[in-house]
Amino acid sequence: MSRIAPNQMTDDLLRPLLHTTWKFYAGVAVLGSIVLAGLGAWFYQVYMGLGITGDNWPVFWGFHETNFVFWIGISHAGTLISAILRMVDATWRRPVTRCAEAITAFALMIGALFPLIHLGRPWLAWWLIPYPSERMIWPNFRSPLAWDFFAINTYLTSSLLFLFLPMLPDLAVVRDKTTGLRSKIYGLLSLGWQGTPKQWHRLEMAMHIMAIAIIPIAVSVHTIVSFDFSMAVVPMWHSTIFGPYFVAGAIFSGIAALIIAMALLRKILHLEAYLEPIHFNNLGKLLFTMSLLWGYFVFNERLTTWYGNETHEMAAFWITQTGRYAPLFWTMVFCNFILPFPFLAIRKLRTITGCVIASCGVVVGMWLERFLIIVPSLSTKPITYSWGRYMPQWPEITIMIGSIAAMVLLYVLFSKFVPLISMWEMKVGEHPEVKEAASVAAAQEAGELL
Amino acid sequence: MQESSTATTTNGPAKWGMAVDLDRCTGCEACVTACHAENNIPTVGANQAAAGRAMHWIRIERYFEGEFPDVHVKFRPVLCQHCDNAPCEPVCPTYASSHTDEGLNAQVYNRCIGTRYCANACNYNVRFFNWFNPIWEKPLHLQLNPDVSLREVSVMEKCTFCVQRIKEAKIDAKRDARPLADGDVKPACVQSCTANALVFGDLNDPESAVSRLSRSPRGTKLLGDLGTQPKITYLQREG
Amino acid sequence: MDRRQFIKLGAATSATATLAGCGNPENQLIRFIPEDDLIPGISVWKPSICPLCSAGCGVLVRIMEGEAEVIRNGQLGLIKMGLAKKLEGNPQHPVNQGKLCVRGQAALQVTYHPDRIANPLKRSGERGSGQFQEISWDDAIAELVSQMNALAAANDQKSLGFLTRPLRGQRQRLVAEFLSRFGAPAALDFEVLGEDVMRRANARSFGYDQLSTFDLAQSRYVLTLGADFLGTWNSPVSQSVGYGEMRQGRPGIRATFVQVEPRMSQTGANADEWVPIKPGTEGVLALGLAHVIMAARLFPAAAAGRAGAQVAGWANGLPAYTPQEVERITGIAAARVERLAREFAEQRPSVAIIGGAPLAHTNGTFNALAVNALNALVGSIGQPGGVYFTPRANVGGAQAGTAQAGRTIDKVAAEILATERSPIQLLMLGEANPVFGTPPAWRVKEALAKIPYIVSFGNFLDETSSLSDLILPDHSFLESWVDDVPESGAMVAVASLAPPAMRPLHQTRAMPDVLLDLGRRLTPAIELPWQNYQAMLQAAFSTLPAPPAPAGEEPADVWRTAQAQGGWWGEVAARPAAAAAQGQAPAAYTEAQFDGAAAEYPYHFLPYASQQFLDGSLAHLPWLQELPDVLTSAMWSSWVEINTQTASQLGIVQGDLVEVGSGQGTLRAPVFVSPAIAPDVIAMPVGQGHETFTRYASGRGANPISILAPVLEAETGSLAWAATRVRVSKVDGDGGLILFGGSLREHSEEHR
Ligand SMILES: Nc1nc2c(c(=O)[nH]1)N[C@H]1C(S)=C(S)[C@@H](COP(=O)(O)OP(=O)(O)OC[C@H]3O[C@@H](n4cnc5c(=O)[nH]c(N)nc54)[C@H](O)[C@@H]3O)O[C@H]1N2
Ligand SMILES: Nc1nc2c(c(=O)[nH]1)N[C@H]1C(S)=C(S)[C@@H](COP(=O)(O)OP(=O)(O)OC[C@H]3O[C@@H](n4cnc5c(=O)[nH]c(N)nc54)[C@H](O)[C@@H]3O)O[C@H]1N2
Ligand code: SF4
Ligand code: SF4
Ligand code: SF4
Ligand code: SF4
Ligand code: SF4
Repeated sequence: MSRIAPNQMTDDLLRPLLHTTWKFYAGVAVLGSIVLAGLGAWFYQVYMGLGITGDNWPVFWGFHETNFVFWIGISHAGTLISAILRMVDATWRRPVTRCAEAITAFALMIGALFPLIHLGRPWLAWWLIPYPSERMIWPNFRSPLAWDFFAINTYLTSSLLFLFLPMLPDLAVVRDKTTGLRSKIYGLLSLGWQGTPKQWHRLEMAMHIMAIAIIPIAVSVHTIVSFDFSMAVVPMWHSTIFGPYFVAGAIFSGIAALIIAMALLRKILHLEAYLEPIHFNNLGKLLFTMSLLWGYFVFNERLTTWYGNETHEMAAFWITQTGRYAPLFWTMVFCNFILPFPFLAIRKLRTITGCVIASCGVVVGMWLERFLIIVPSLSTKPITYSWGRYMPQWPEITIMIGSIAAMVLLYVLFSKFVPLISMWEMKVGEHPEVKEAASVAAAQEAGELL
Repeated sequence: MQESSTATTTNGPAKWGMAVDLDRCTGCEACVTACHAENNIPTVGANQAAAGRAMHWIRIERYFEGEFPDVHVKFRPVLCQHCDNAPCEPVCPTYASSHTDEGLNAQVYNRCIGTRYCANACNYNVRFFNWFNPIWEKPLHLQLNPDVSLREVSVMEKCTFCVQRIKEAKIDAKRDARPLADGDVKPACVQSCTANALVFGDLNDPESAVSRLSRSPRGTKLLGDLGTQPKITYLQREG
Repeated sequence: MDRRQFIKLGAATSATATLAGCGNPENQLIRFIPEDDLIPGISVWKPSICPLCSAGCGVLVRIMEGEAEVIRNGQLGLIKMGLAKKLEGNPQHPVNQGKLCVRGQAALQVTYHPDRIANPLKRSGERGSGQFQEISWDDAIAELVSQMNALAAANDQKSLGFLTRPLRGQRQRLVAEFLSRFGAPAALDFEVLGEDVMRRANARSFGYDQLSTFDLAQSRYVLTLGADFLGTWNSPVSQSVGYGEMRQGRPGIRATFVQVEPRMSQTGANADEWVPIKPGTEGVLALGLAHVIMAARLFPAAAAGRAGAQVAGWANGLPAYTPQEVERITGIAAARVERLAREFAEQRPSVAIIGGAPLAHTNGTFNALAVNALNALVGSIGQPGGVYFTPRANVGGAQAGTAQAGRTIDKVAAEILATERSPIQLLMLGEANPVFGTPPAWRVKEALAKIPYIVSFGNFLDETSSLSDLILPDHSFLESWVDDVPESGAMVAVASLAPPAMRPLHQTRAMPDVLLDLGRRLTPAIELPWQNYQAMLQAAFSTLPAPPAPAGEEPADVWRTAQAQGGWWGEVAARPAAAAAQGQAPAAYTEAQFDGAAAEYPYHFLPYASQQFLDGSLAHLPWLQELPDVLTSAMWSSWVEINTQTASQLGIVQGDLVEVGSGQGTLRAPVFVSPAIAPDVIAMPVGQGHETFTRYASGRGANPISILAPVLEAETGSLAWAATRVRVSKVDGDGGLILFGGSLREHSEEHR
């Protein structure tokens, strides 16, 4: 851990909030335009009909659904890093948690949009809400899409809380460091944080509970997303492995996204002193574990299908191994497994650059994985006469690029308004006595209560 | 949503089903166009057809077997199987795809929000989506059957077993104060079938023609091993 | 309110008004008082006749109240009227027994087609430019009257021509009467894939100048040579109904079905055994079977009677057609010939059917005569499960063929081109499209261009009618009085009849009524005894015998009952067979002649009537364009079928664009690679490749007729459309083949 004076730290970490350069505006303008283009493509799609996409009979789902699963997967970054590491009290996590939690929140927001984007009649999406209509028509609770609705909403709510709660002390710092309207706004946002031992105590408690609670939520969310596929008797979808396979893949892609985000922030916001090689090294080890786990799942999935040799499944199997989708499949294997292996397994190569290269591969590979789960199976369902193919068209490509821009844009804006590294957690890490004081205060309080 | 059925061949509600005699079917496709005409199925034009958006609630699948000169062809009319255990139904979040008490897999167009999930879940690939608003170039719109609702953009559609004809036959029977007889209901494809390969009727009536054919030793179910319990029985070719 | 606010408000108001107008333009139309007495939502089924092919199936039309935009007294408005909603087969009709083929189902779109000619048109641009202007019926008829009067004044009545697809029933009679009273030659019939060879052979073998009817329902063994009898040939609906019965209609009995043809047709796809054969040798196979049957003394040569006498060497047991010889000529193994022969003779009633390409070779008549003799040999003529000739109802007197024997369009075109002044000065054009449907070498378009004045009765602008000077659009069949005498497909005599099923949508007039009207206006007038076509039909149908009435009851009025049930049908006195022509030499096998040397043009080119468009006359119906062809699943396309092996030798894969070249020209189309076609045959459906034929068919695909050589069948002089050889080469470019189906094969075959 580097030794940085607390004051210096506050200055460093608040600098992006307090000083705005033209680069920021330029960045926001560029990203905003791309996001607008994506939104425009979506509106056009709603106006014209899904016919402008590449979806067809029988490949009714394509890029939109791929992106849905992809972004929900990315959102698992925060869960693991923040919650698990928080629970096991891995101290090296401290500079990383907020970056990770922010990824979770934003990726979820974007991911949650895709079920809407993919709907033919999005203006009727509210029919998934179980409100007591006069005709007593409820959503169909047997439908995995209805489960998605609840799962994603729960996860989004909890991860927003999980992001927001530990921000309170830092928001209070900003409130104190600013004046005028800004100070007032941060004052509101910090919910009256004064740093009293009681407040510290409650924050710690809340974070502990949240950290424990959010892990099963995250696991269930991606399991439920996997149910969108595994509940349907479609070749290579109808598989019991999909739940854990999707969760593992999600965490895998989430860590990769986090590494990339951290590397970018480190460069752009000059946080070299805070995001140190050790953080990348540790995350790289985690990523390596996940890569192995992912490889294990893919091997399992493929082996059982192949060995089972069931006619209908074999069509979907071979089209990815040697057929039309084989180039994508082997690219995926390369990106997720072969490329990361040396960079993550060999200590010397597990540098920041090495980790970033591996992560880039993983993000691409995991996107391909989602695509390869959806499209090849749909194009080779059991009735061979109805086999088909899918080619994305400009609307879904534009929307996808828009969603990536939206992610970056949200991050840029977030970094403008909130310190990206949790200042108080860093300081706790620097000054154990602070934590001790808080604990003492908490104990005293507990004693009083008793 | 589910209508009570009074006039049926048996005392209980009917269970509509079909038998397809593959030994009779000639691949003439009269059924395909009859279904288009009866059910206001739009044509989508060459470009959309090329993009995989053609709609045929019933299709004649053709499979080549063997190589020249020992080639054989198998024709198979495929339409919605009105599965008793329909995978398209549980996945629909709005009950747009649901079962009636007469065993039809009904498609409630107004409830459909366009997820296309049902179409993925249906392994028979007999569900068709309105990728755009259908167009009838005037005065082709005058051909439209007023008994069948038009579907708009982003709505899923499929074979209804010509539910409007079932309803009409029931109304006629009721008007004439007689029970519905076997053969009173003829979906458009069945009516047109030039080789009488398609037979429709009530599977709850053990004496109906369709029940008798369904018990044939030649009878098989399409993808029957998936457990979907289709209500169409395919009578395999002899020879 | 200031000026800017005012402008804003004004803009908003007018935008709202425009939007409202866009939404419901109908609202601005006036509403006419309904002419029909229909209960909304209640349908009425009215009889009609399917006009799309010569089978003449009986139709029931579902009529329901609807709202249509029509013109009444020159005013556009909305009217509630009875509209046809669905066509179904007439269950009482003896030909189709309640069924319609895929084309009959689509016939509804003929009436509602957006590109129907809605008004009389007069050419306003260059000939063939497709530019016309609307004129009134009065002006149009006046113009035609003056043209015809000019002919009469110059005593040149014989230069009036009438070109039509073969007409039947009272339409044919009316046209014939009109022409003969005017002093013009008889009408010139044109059919792209005509059946003259079959008629000629039947006349020779059996004394009936008519297509055959098959009692398939009772057959035990069916051997077909080339005839797509379940798809497009002869009376496909009647034959399909019979086919279903012959397969599964009799408990414990299932007929065997063998199809012999070099390219598997829809019909062949249903066969138990599919036998590819060398094109043009079908008659040899038939005689080979006859040889085996006679040699095995299963039937004596004499059993074939007159039909046998038409074949050289028959009386001697056909010594030239031993199985070994048949193998050499046809490419079918001798042992197989023997087996087929025994099956054919033993599994009776058996029937052999020949049609399509085998009759479109130079030796077509020979092939047909051979099959006729084979049927006669096993006793299948006029017997259950065999071949019949539909008795002819005698409606309104003589039904003699009035088309000029031997006068075919190629000869007429040559005549026109050879003379300075066209022998036809005024051409009346019925629904016939020879510009699309004849080989380029006949130069029909050029010949038509030399005719000074062409008047068309067509409903649509096609390659031929767009050359007209005047168009007098006919009603659609649903809007007309229709009648027909089917040539085949029924075991009893049939005279179909139906009143209009609905009122005309457009400013069209029935062609027979136009002719009658025209006749009255000419100087000198043509005095035909009928006020209008309805009166003519009434007079004709009243001559038919009424069905026997129960004792004490008035016999039913034939005219009324026929209208109600869609026609008259019943037993008539058997028509005696025509006497055999004297001095006609028995037919002997001569090798079929092909245009193009085998070295340069290695493949037989086999055009075939398409399931959707027949000869191309139905390519304008969107339901048929989007119908997946049953064997290829192609929609909105044309394609050439090439054998799998041949394709791989040529480096061609599914969907590649190829150029098919004959000595007459080239065309381009995507490839459908098929295992069910002989390696030396290239097949292509007829129907696409229209230059001009409504928005749905124009400029789509290629027309195989455009590369056909002008080879003629030796005896009848009709076009031998299967006698062209071609070469094939892959070319760059997008094939544009649109397929509905994915894989050609089922799983078990996919991953062997
Ligand atoms: N069995 C059965 N039940 C059904 C249906 C079905 O198909 N079968 N359809 C359902 C549907 S879709 C609908 S919309 C409902 C319709 O159900 P209702 O709304 O009950 O329809 P109506 O009986 O047509 O009309 C209601 C009353 O309005 C009166 N009325 C007419 N004009 C006026 C007016 O200007 N002012 C006022 N105050 N009253 C007026 C009429 O005289 C009538 O008494 O029925 C539903 N119920
Ligand atoms: N004369 C008269 N006309 C009226 C009215 C009136 O009161 N009197 N009321 C008006 C009103 S308010 C309404 S809402 C309309 C209703 O008019 P429509 O919408 O035409 O209503 P229905 O006749 O009840 O149903 C239409 C068809 O849907 C079929 N159907 C049932 N279930 C299904 C299914 O699951 N899938 C498919 N594809 N088809 C199904 C039925 O068999 C029926 O043929 O009528 C209007 N018109
Ligand atoms: S065939 Fe498909 S659409 Fe029809 S009921 Fe079965 S699953 Fe549903
Ligand atoms: S497309 Fe329509 S019917 Fe199908 S699952 Fe979605 S909402 Fe239900
Ligand atoms: S039953 Fe009716 S809706 Fe279904 S395929 Fe046949 S004609 Fe079409
Ligand atoms: S109409 Fe009958 S015979 Fe023709 S393709 Fe359809 S099912 Fe087969
Ligand atoms: S066979 Fe088909 S096209 Fe010909 S008349 Fe009959 S229904 Fe019409």
